[in-house]
Amino acid sequence: MEEYSVIGKRLPRIDAKEKVIGQAKYAADCSLPGMLWCKVARAPYAHARILHVDTSAALKVPGVKAVISGKDFGGYTWGFMATTRDEPPLAVDKVRYLYEGVAAVAAIDEETAEEACELIKVEYEELPGVFDPEEALREGSPVIHDYRPNNVSVEYHWSFGDVEKAFAESYIVREDRFETGKVITGFLEPPASLAYYDPSGSITVWPAKQSPYFHYRHLAACFRLPLSKIRIIQPFIGGGFGGTKNDSVAGDFCVVMLSKKAGKPVKYVYPMEEVLTTCRRRHNMIIYNKMGMTKEGILTAVESRVIGNGGAYTAIGPLTMYLTGCATTMPYRLPHYKYDAWRAFTNNPVSAAMRGHGFTHTRFACDIQMGMLAEELGIDPVEIKMRNAIDNPKRGEEYRTINGISFKTCGLKEALKSVAGERLWADKDRMEKEKGPISYGVGISGTTYQGGARQLGHQSCGAMVRICEDGTVNLITGATDCGQGSDTVLAMIAAEELGARYEDISIKRVDSAYTPVDPGSYGSRVTLLAGQATQLAARDAKKQLMQAAASAWGVAPDEVEIKSGFAYPKSKPDKRISFEKLAKIACYEGSGAVILGRGHSSYGLEEIDFNTGTGNGGTSYSFTAQTVRLGVDMETGKVDVTDFTIAHDGGMPLHPVSVESQNEGGAVQGQSQAMYEQFIMEKGFTHNRTLLDYKMPRSTDVPDIKVIDIITDDPDGPFGAKEASEGSIVSTPPALVDAIHAATGVWFKELPVTPEKIVRALKEKGKWPG
Amino acid sequence: MPLFYRRLPRFEYVSPGTVDEAIAFISGHGEDAKLLAGGTDLVPQLKGREVKARYVVDLKAIPGLDAVSSNGTSVTIGALATISTIARSPLVNERLPLLVQAASVMASPQVRNRGTFVGNICSAVPSADSAPGLLALEARVHLLGPGGERIVAIDRFFTGPRTTVVARDEVALAIEVPLPPAVSRGVYLKLSPRHSMDLAVVGVAVHAVCDNGVCTRVRIGLGAVAPTPVRAPVAESLLEGRAITPELVDEAARHSVTQCSPIDDHRASQEYRCDMVYVMTRRALTQVLLEGGK
Amino acid sequence: MKQIRLKVNGLSHELEVKPWATLLDTLREDLGLTGTKEGCGQGECGACTVLMDGKPVNACLILAMEAQGKEILTIEGLAQGDELHPVQQAFVDIGGMQCGFCTPGMVLSAKALLDEKPEPTDEEIRKGLEGNFCRCTGYTKIIESVRAAVERMKG
Repeated sequence: MEEYSVIGKRLPRIDAKEKVIGQAKYAADCSLPGMLWCKVARAPYAHARILHVDTSAALKVPGVKAVISGKDFGGYTWGFMATTRDEPPLAVDKVRYLYEGVAAVAAIDEETAEEACELIKVEYEELPGVFDPEEALREGSPVIHDYRPNNVSVEYHWSFGDVEKAFAESYIVREDRFETGKVITGFLEPPASLAYYDPSGSITVWPAKQSPYFHYRHLAACFRLPLSKIRIIQPFIGGGFGGTKNDSVAGDFCVVMLSKKAGKPVKYVYPMEEVLTTCRRRHNMIIYNKMGMTKEGILTAVESRVIGNGGAYTAIGPLTMYLTGCATTMPYRLPHYKYDAWRAFTNNPVSAAMRGHGFTHTRFACDIQMGMLAEELGIDPVEIKMRNAIDNPKRGEEYRTINGISFKTCGLKEALKSVAGERLWADKDRMEKEKGPISYGVGISGTTYQGGARQLGHQSCGAMVRICEDGTVNLITGATDCGQGSDTVLAMIAAEELGARYEDISIKRVDSAYTPVDPGSYGSRVTLLAGQATQLAARDAKKQLMQAAASAWGVAPDEVEIKSGFAYPKSKPDKRISFEKLAKIACYEGSGAVILGRGHSSYGLEEIDFNTGTGNGGTSYSFTAQTVRLGVDMETGKVDVTDFTIAHDGGMPLHPVSVESQNEGGAVQGQSQAMYEQFIMEKGFTHNRTLLDYKMPRSTDVPDIKVIDIITDDPDGPFGAKEASEGSIVSTPPALVDAIHAATGVWFKELPVTPEKIVRALKEKGKWPG
Repeated sequence: MPLFYRRLPRFEYVSPGTVDEAIAFISGHGEDAKLLAGGTDLVPQLKGREVKARYVVDLKAIPGLDAVSSNGTSVTIGALATISTIARSPLVNERLPLLVQAASVMASPQVRNRGTFVGNICSAVPSADSAPGLLALEARVHLLGPGGERIVAIDRFFTGPRTTVVARDEVALAIEVPLPPAVSRGVYLKLSPRHSMDLAVVGVAVHAVCDNGVCTRVRIGLGAVAPTPVRAPVAESLLEGRAITPELVDEAARHSVTQCSPIDDHRASQEYRCDMVYVMTRRALTQVLLEGGK
Repeated sequence: MKQIRLKVNGLSHELEVKPWATLLDTLREDLGLTGTKEGCGQGECGACTVLMDGKPVNACLILAMEAQGKEILTIEGLAQGDELHPVQQAFVDIGGMQCGFCTPGMVLSAKALLDEKPEPTDEEIRKGLEGNFCRCTGYTKIIESVRAAVERMKG
């Protein structure tokens, strides 16, 4: 293991100080003189034709400067693929989910905008709605989009090998129905944006976006302006987790259009209830899973039939349904696989991406089914996973699944051994099993997640490294830190590669007028791909510095060493000068030189075919093994989660503090979606629309968490890194449900596993002590 | 036209200096005026447009309403005494620890620093955490209106979800809790999915005066399982004057279920709430009557 | 519009406020102190936590008028010049934040907790922060940061 100066050190986050003193500015903190406030008016029906929109009364309210409705966007719609651009900024002919936006007001203050919205009159023709995805797919259901008369938003049919034959030859086959919950990202910072449409033909926006460049393209298309005239200036982001902040929402388009009409900057901020009822959420999916094994517990085949609840528009659905299916062939060897998936349109708010995108559904189903088969076969749960786990490929080799996913490192076996050896699992039989009404159980899981995601469209990251004359460094990238700590890691990569000190690196937040384009934060790609770009840019700048030193010292450039803030000729290490001095030498050479390094990511892009399921969307894959200990109150069903042990193969932890924090946070989100979160919906209406009733964990709900780094040093990541952001949100739900099984003897197949569901199940099995 | 409000609606703010001024104002303005104490219930309701007000009448300038005091026979909790004040009061901790238990599971430190017990009962949410304990302690509510003062027993105070006997022109001044004998014991158990910030799915308070395994007085208060917080008198009479055994406790707990009429809502089903009334009442009774409680 | 007088971070202010303005609106929009955040507007998330007369409260639930005569401490007022409060420094050193949106409220709640209980148990730390929601960290490093602050404030 190489000794690094910066990489692998427990350094403070680069933006920690701003955050603790309250100086970090988020979108809602931005304002401009003369700014107006925007409010979106929404439809009272889940499915209705819009007959007439009358904004005249709203326009008359003193202080109102502009009012818009769907028609003002001139027929613009957007979507993830060219063939799925079905979503308008505001509904035009039809409303397809309850509270879909239909109009918006800009006024001198927010309360005036709110009052004016009340006066907008819309005539609707209410239509019958359909809310359940399986029902939506049936003949005779209300049609939500004319271009998809059978309500099928996305449909895939994949087949690898021969599952029928493999099942026929299996010793045991199980078929189960699983369902994942209706859950949402749950970020604390609501979507907000401040926009100014300059009449000379440019737009400047300060939006809460973790993929600002997606929004940049949406605005260019919507307002028919060249990309060079769209300026997204990124504030700090208060949490992303995918979905909404990777996409655009009604408010984002409305503030720009209202600014265009009113000639003033316009701002919107969604209240939390608006977030919980209208913003993108994770797809909830029904998974009919069939799994076969030999008598020794070796996987023979899996057949998955998945129905995804897509909500009213397509959004990123095509990718979701691909990701949901692609990972069933890993992290356990699978020779035969069939996947049939439908994403159904329903009159619900739009389902989109969320952390652990796609994998959370099928890795849950498969891991639990594996546990059930282990029980039936009488095989130890760790043993069965070890028998099937893919081995870590030898250096220079790679493993390829039957659907074309390949990876060069796989630390699953090491991760499983690690958690199995920790006290939580190893000593579980010696730990207390019962205490009063509480029954304790320990569960285990072994899962995977994709890193360095690359799919369609522009996927490259760019970076520039600018050396200032005083030896400090500006790192300029289009990458977005939405809180996960990527700014810190990129600065560390730049420092390590350059040989400069971490404290001397300053990273500039995204400003699309200056920073290179970047897809943003999703698919755990920033450390890997923006990291590679940063590394290359730093190397480029370093080369220029080495040239300058070489000339000054009369040595060959490759004789120059730059490390930890010092430069010296390799043969004479005591002749060292500071990085600052080196910068001066380089910058003041001749008439003055500008030391600027540039790089862009270039990890090989493979083809993915969503329709056949073949191909590879990730640069590398992480592997996570986890144990969970919890206590179930057998009378009330209430669950106390006491401990997590998480062994995560993230290649190499570049910033150990962030890696731990991401694993901890992802695990708690996974815990939350496995046992607390669920939207209670009725005909498109959300009953629980506040943080009181959409339950996410508080400080008193979380277990003690131990994170173990499994190091596999992947060749396709800067300094060996792989993703470390999403693994634990995939590993936690199956481990938690396995633990509940250990405590209660019941296998739960529908998330979330609430106290009430536990009591009902115990009663059904005659096990309820009450 | 549905929209999601972020700002409060326009209203006028009034800050009377005496109770009489407050009463005169609300008498004069009827439904248009709303009383403000901690604001932790009123402000969200105003924001959500669940409640309308042209005048918000802040009681906090009125002196003498924020104390927790004793006159030897009862403890008086003033209208403006915050949940934190109640939880920290040496008097309440010593003589009415059941109420400290209730206070400590309400919302958050931030809300407890502003919200009040009087406000909690006046908002009359069926799951109000202060209510079961106050019922078990047989508290009384002091109301003042243009016609004078009246005292209402807590078990007659609530009339339905979010409705009480407090008239349009009355102000609730204080909750008076008779001091129980020193040998009494009580407990408040709150069942909720998480460990913080939830409304009670079931809230059970038990308070009893016991001597040598026989209880001369047992009071059971139940929250979140009926349109209002309620007592469980049949269960209580089953236990009074009898030697307490686990079987008797179990029987009483089963009887408590019959006192309840919970609804199916998005927080819990009727079946679950009824089952939990049995479980939590049995636990509360066990703690207080069999194990010595607090 | 009504007049109020209050002290914020040690400075006295005379402000004209709308009767329906919240303390949160006033701090953020009239005084430009955007460190205090709005998360839910309902008193459920704690992002708007400020200290009022030393006690943590949700600024989104308090009318500006109710703050008349009060002393408010916002996150911007915690550090003494360049010197961070031990709680702030601990959060920086341990990494008690990710996106930072909950951080101002979380730091102030932690400070208030330690002012009242300088040596809290783990359970008391968790309970003291129960009013502050965090979605990013899973609370683990937040609790560690508070523990570290306890140690540093001892010596």
